[in-house]
Amino acid sequence: MKRDYWIYGGMGVVALVGIWVLFVGLPRWYPSEGVPTPTNVASGKTTDNELVAATLFYISDDGMGLVGFERRLVQHADPAVQGRIILEAQLAEPPASLLSPIPPGTELRAFYLSDQDAFVDLSAEVTLGHSGGSLEELFTVYAIVNAVTTNIPAINAVQILVDGKEVDTLVGHVDLQHPLELNMQWAADPDIDATQSRPIDQIDQL
Amino acid sequence: MSVGVRYHALDGQSAADPVKVSKTLSPTRGMTGRLLVACCLVWLATGSTRGQTPDDPLTLVTPQDRRPLPTVRFDGRRLVAVSELTTPFGLTITDMRQPGRLTLMREDRIIVLTANEGLVSVAGQLVALASPSLERDGNWYVPIDFIGRALTLVLDEPLELRPRSGLVLLGAVRVPQVVARYQRAGRRSRLRLMITPQTEHVIEQNADRLLITFDADALDLVLRDMRPDALVADIRAMDGSPILAVELRDGFGSFSATTEPALGGAVELVIDLQPRPVSTTRAAPSPTPPAGSRGGAGSGPLAGPGTEPAALVPEETVGDAMRPLLAELAPPRRIRAIAIDAGHGGDDVGTRGPDGALEKDVTLAVAQRLRNRIESELGLRVVLTRTSDTAVSLDERAAIANNDRADLFISLHTNASVREAAIGAEVFYLSFAEYGEEAREAGFTGQLVPIVGGGSRVLDIVPWEMAQLRHVNHSARWAQVVADELGQRVPMSPRGLQQAPFRVLVGANMPAVVVELGFISNPDQEAQLTSATFQSAIVSGLLQGLIRYRDEVERETLPLDARSPDGSGRIP
Repeated sequence: MKRDYWIYGGMGVVALVGIWVLFVGLPRWYPSEGVPTPTNVASGKTTDNELVAATLFYISDDGMGLVGFERRLVQHADPAVQGRIILEAQLAEPPASLLSPIPPGTELRAFYLSDQDAFVDLSAEVTLGHSGGSLEELFTVYAIVNAVTTNIPAINAVQILVDGKEVDTLVGHVDLQHPLELNMQWAADPDIDATQSRPIDQIDQL
Repeated sequence: MSVGVRYHALDGQSAADPVKVSKTLSPTRGMTGRLLVACCLVWLATGSTRGQTPDDPLTLVTPQDRRPLPTVRFDGRRLVAVSELTTPFGLTITDMRQPGRLTLMREDRIIVLTANEGLVSVAGQLVALASPSLERDGNWYVPIDFIGRALTLVLDEPLELRPRSGLVLLGAVRVPQVVARYQRAGRRSRLRLMITPQTEHVIEQNADRLLITFDADALDLVLRDMRPDALVADIRAMDGSPILAVELRDGFGSFSATTEPALGGAVELVIDLQPRPVSTTRAAPSPTPPAGSRGGAGSGPLAGPGTEPAALVPEETVGDAMRPLLAELAPPRRIRAIAIDAGHGGDDVGTRGPDGALEKDVTLAVAQRLRNRIESELGLRVVLTRTSDTAVSLDERAAIANNDRADLFISLHTNASVREAAIGAEVFYLSFAEYGEEAREAGFTGQLVPIVGGGSRVLDIVPWEMAQLRHVNHSARWAQVVADELGQRVPMSPRGLQQAPFRVLVGANMPAVVVELGFISNPDQEAQLTSATFQSAIVSGLLQGLIRYRDEVERETLPLDARSPDGSGRIP
């Protein structure tokens, strides 16, 4: 009887390894190219509900740039869902010692995709609560644009809507009539790749 | 303990009945054993590298050679093994006895890494890294910015990491950054290379390649907007050499090149690629276009200083292929009128200072001061987009400048920051990079329209949002001069001169800039911005910037007057 247990045990181990290879190993070794995968695709993780590092953007200490900050967010294979997760984190309270470039109270009304462009529909607080100034407006816009395009490579550009409508600008400066592409000019150090080179003081879990 | 007990039991059974065991268990046991071994090997192989994937290597460039510097990714973070850094950077691992800690030494300077910590001690100071250092199976890994942030502190020679191009520059190496943009307009194409710093280069055509050889040790190439077309199949840096190769297609005919100084010590090399002529009996060029439409005498791309030796364009290619890009259709023109836009107004107060000063009031005051100085000292015509506290839409401001035939447009604003310490003036001109290729190409569309008496002609129907595109080079020149002059009179922000996609600029059909006069959110700057003395200093800077730009323009030849009946250079 004991030898049967030994055989069954071995077969069980083989079966477990096979299942792991089929559902975890192979997708990791040979990721599908046709399916846009969310942030940190290089990790090979396509399973939903795992936590992955995403870069969000906040105002630097001197107020002259955006700094990237990594946070652990729930991963989702659907870019539309992933985009919403990222933006809700970007709109949430900033980490201690950092300031958000997005006016408090701003809510994400909708996030949807059209081809490679994303549309981010924000509540009116993004304009009503804005302190104004071209640099602050640039930071608000590019925190949103860069948070989406940096973390979801499948998305090429982002157009911001307010209360479901296209707007010329948020507070009189940055042209929002077009989808905007990733632009690291507004990062505190634009030569550094935002996805991998921002100082990380802590890792949060949302 | 339970494992040990189970083994003992098996051993006991084997000893008690060795024959039975050999007959009944041996084949299965052998197979099972092999399976288990295989499983263990698979598990170990995958488990030891769990979360780790090979990544494109960095390239270490020294005066002597180039070599790859392998990198890996752990959970999306790009890391380099410490063992790969020791030899090229002369590091010695001095202490691995403390678990979770690694000590490296370069001469008398010490680096201490702590596993799973984003801070590293370098020669007595703490340096923050992009992600924590990792220890896996006895190997240590650090994020690649360790090279630029930590190693630079212990080396005597220059060391620079350029993450975008994956280059690590060690020692006195010359590696210019070359930002390449490839644009199409009709049948012709244009390759723009922004070279920083300015670097000597030679262009030569070698069979089906255009080779641009730089006087450098390597190239830091950033390629944007590259889509193969009928003329060019690919653009790439040749491995191991400072040569940029443009792979040509059969449709390519000839090229011409010009260089122009750019901001920050850079130079822009513009290479126009012409298609091969279809035949010498092709349709005649379009009828002489009206002022501002495509084509026209003197609009060839080779004009101007800095022209490099290049193949001449055959006469028969004149036609569609020789139509200039829109940006070329805006030569400098005499400055007779200037539009001054006082930002915000009416219900739109703009930003507000801590003591209650309003942006809309400051901008109107400065606009009126500037108007008075320009009219009295330069005798130019001035158009104000608003003269009182009224609301004017952004597009209407540009429309006022266009309709009043202004030659320059300046929009005045004050800045704000949630960080109270932010101060300084900034000058912006329009950036089109954010609009994407499709939007940029929209600026190059032409339309065949009927004319009175029969026939037709091609007119450039310029979308409102692309009107500034043809002036952006001149806007950049003016913005540079304004920033220089302001910087001599008032504090400038670290971001003194920039490009941004500002709505008020897109429709301006003339060189146009936005000037942020200072940060009204800073209490000291708020007081300055509302004071007559500071406003006068600002106005002096703006005025002197205008004079310098006007003088530069008027020193240049104005071929436009010869081709445009009204001399304005406007697109009809």
